[in-house]
Amino acid sequence: MSNWIPLWVHKLSSPPNFYRFAGVVRPWALGLALLLGAVALYGGLVLAPADYQQGDAYRIIFIHVPCAWMGLFVYGVMAIASFISLVWRIKLAEVVAMESAPIGAAFTFITLVTGSLWGKPMWGTWWTWDARLTSELVLLFLYLGVIGLYHSFEDRRQGARAAAFLAIIGIINVPIVHFSVNWWNTLHQGSTVRILGPSRISGDMLWPLLTMMFATKFYYLASLFGRVRTDLLAMESGKDWVRQIAQGRAAVPEQEARR
Amino acid sequence: MSPFSWDHFLAMGGYAAYVWPAYAVFFIVLVADYVSPALRRRRNLRELRGRIARQAVRQQRNPTSP
Amino acid sequence: MSHPPLAAACAAMLRRDLTLAWRRRGDIVMPVLYALIVITLFPFALGPEEALLQRIAGGAVLVTMLLAMLLALDAMFRSDIEDGSLEQLMLSPQPLALMLGMKILAHWITTALPLIVIAPLLAGMLHLPTPVMPVLVYALLLATPLLSLLGAVLVALTAGTRRSGMLLALMLLPLCVPVVIFAAGAVAAAQQGLPWLAPIAWLGAALVMALVLAPLACAAALRIALDA
Repeated sequence: MSNWIPLWVHKLSSPPNFYRFAGVVRPWALGLALLLGAVALYGGLVLAPADYQQGDAYRIIFIHVPCAWMGLFVYGVMAIASFISLVWRIKLAEVVAMESAPIGAAFTFITLVTGSLWGKPMWGTWWTWDARLTSELVLLFLYLGVIGLYHSFEDRRQGARAAAFLAIIGIINVPIVHFSVNWWNTLHQGSTVRILGPSRISGDMLWPLLTMMFATKFYYLASLFGRVRTDLLAMESGKDWVRQIAQGRAAVPEQEARR
Repeated sequence: MSPFSWDHFLAMGGYAAYVWPAYAVFFIVLVADYVSPALRRRRNLRELRGRIARQAVRQQRNPTSP
Repeated sequence: MSHPPLAAACAAMLRRDLTLAWRRRGDIVMPVLYALIVITLFPFALGPEEALLQRIAGGAVLVTMLLAMLLALDAMFRSDIEDGSLEQLMLSPQPLALMLGMKILAHWITTALPLIVIAPLLAGMLHLPTPVMPVLVYALLLATPLLSLLGAVLVALTAGTRRSGMLLALMLLPLCVPVVIFAAGAVAAAQQGLPWLAPIAWLGAALVMALVLAPLACAAALRIALDA
C-alpha cells in the first residue's frame, strides 16, 4: 500500500510522462475554468443584487478577491515546489516553481489594477498606502525578483535553483512584511477603509465569489501545465521523445498537431 | 427585480467606467498569460525542426562522420 | 576542529578584507559622497523650509543610507569571484558560513560604519532636532548590519550572473521594507515624543535572527550560484 505512491510519483515526474499527463489534464482544467468562470460571472454580474452602500461598483470583487487569493496561493505552490526542487533536485519541481512565478505575478498585477479601479469610486483615490495594498505591491516585487533572477542565469537549471532559494526567502518574508506594514499603518494613522467586512457579505454575493475562486484555481492548473509542457520541450530538446513530437509522429494526443 | 435590459446591465449603476475596465484587465492579462507559452512552444518546435533538418542534410553529405 | 585555528582563520579573513579595502580607500569614500550628494539635493527639490525638511529628515537619511549601501553591495564578492579566492574559500576546511560572516562584517565596517559616522551631519543638514539624533544612530546601528546580512544573501545568489545591479535592488526591496519601516518608525516616534523603544527592539530581534541565519543562507546561496 505504501509502496505504490512513490513509484507513481516517480513515474509521473519523468518529463515525457508528465508531458503526456499534463496534455490530458489541461483541456479539462481549462474547460472547467471557463465553465465555472462563466457561471460565476453570470451570478456576480447579473444575479447578485447591487450593494446597498457601494451600488454596482462592488462587482469588481468577483475578480479582485479571487485574484488576490490566487496571488498568495500561487506563491505558496511556488515555495513548496522550490523547496522540493532544492532538497530532492527534481527537475519537474524546478519547472513548476519557475513557471508558477509569471502566473502568480499576473494574478497579483490584476489584483492591484482591479483594486485601484475599485478604490477610485469608493475611496476617491486610485491608490492609498493601506496595509493590504502595500503588502500586495511587495508581493508583486517578490515575484518580479524571482522571475528576474531566474532569467539572469545562462544555465536554466542553475537559475531555477537560485530563484527557488529566493522564493523560499520570500515566503519567510511575507508574514514579516505583513506584520511590519500593519504596524506602520497604525503609526501613521493611514486611511484603513474597511468596506467589506467578512460578516456583511450575503449568500447571493458569496457563491459567485467562491465559484470564481475555483475557476481561477482550475485556470492556474491549465496555464501551469501549458507552461510546464513548453518548458519541458525546451529543456529536453536533445532527447528522442521531443524530436518525435517536433516531427509530428508522436505518441501524444493529437491536439498537439493543431497548435 | 426588474426585467433584464442590456442598457441597464452595461451601465452598472453608473460605475461602468470602473467595472468594465477591471474585467477587461482580468481577461486581457489572463489571455496573454495563456497564449505566451503557446507561442514560445511553437517557436521552439520550429527551431528544433530546423535543427533536425540541418543534421539530416549534413549526414547525407558525409555519412561517415557523426 | 579545535578552537584556536578557527578563531585565527576568522581573524585572518577579517584582516585580509580590511587590508584590501584599505588599499582601495577611494572606494570607501564613494558611498559617503553619494549620501552627501543625495541629501544636498533634497532641499533644492523641496525648498529650504525648515518645518518640511524636519518632517522628512529621518526617512530621507534612512533611505539615502539604504541606497548608498545598495551601491556598495554589488561589489561585496565581486573581486573574490574574479580572482578565484571565493572558490578557495568554499573548498577550505573552515565552515563557509563563518568565513562569509567575517566577510560581511568587513564589508559592514568599510561601507556602513562611515555612513553611520556622517549620518548625524546629514540629519543636521535637514534640521533633525538634536535630541532625536541618538535614536537615528541606534536605528542605523541595528538597521545597517541587517541590510548587509540580507544583502549578502542576495549578492551570493547573483554571484553566477554578470550584470546584477538593478536585479539586486529589485530583490532587496521586499526584504528591506520591514527594516526601513521599523528604523524610520523609531525616528518618527522619537520626533513626536512617543516611546521609540519598541521598533528598536524589533530591529534588534531581527538582527539577532539574521546574524544566525543569514551567513548560513549566504553559504547555501553561494553554493547554488557557483554550482559547487
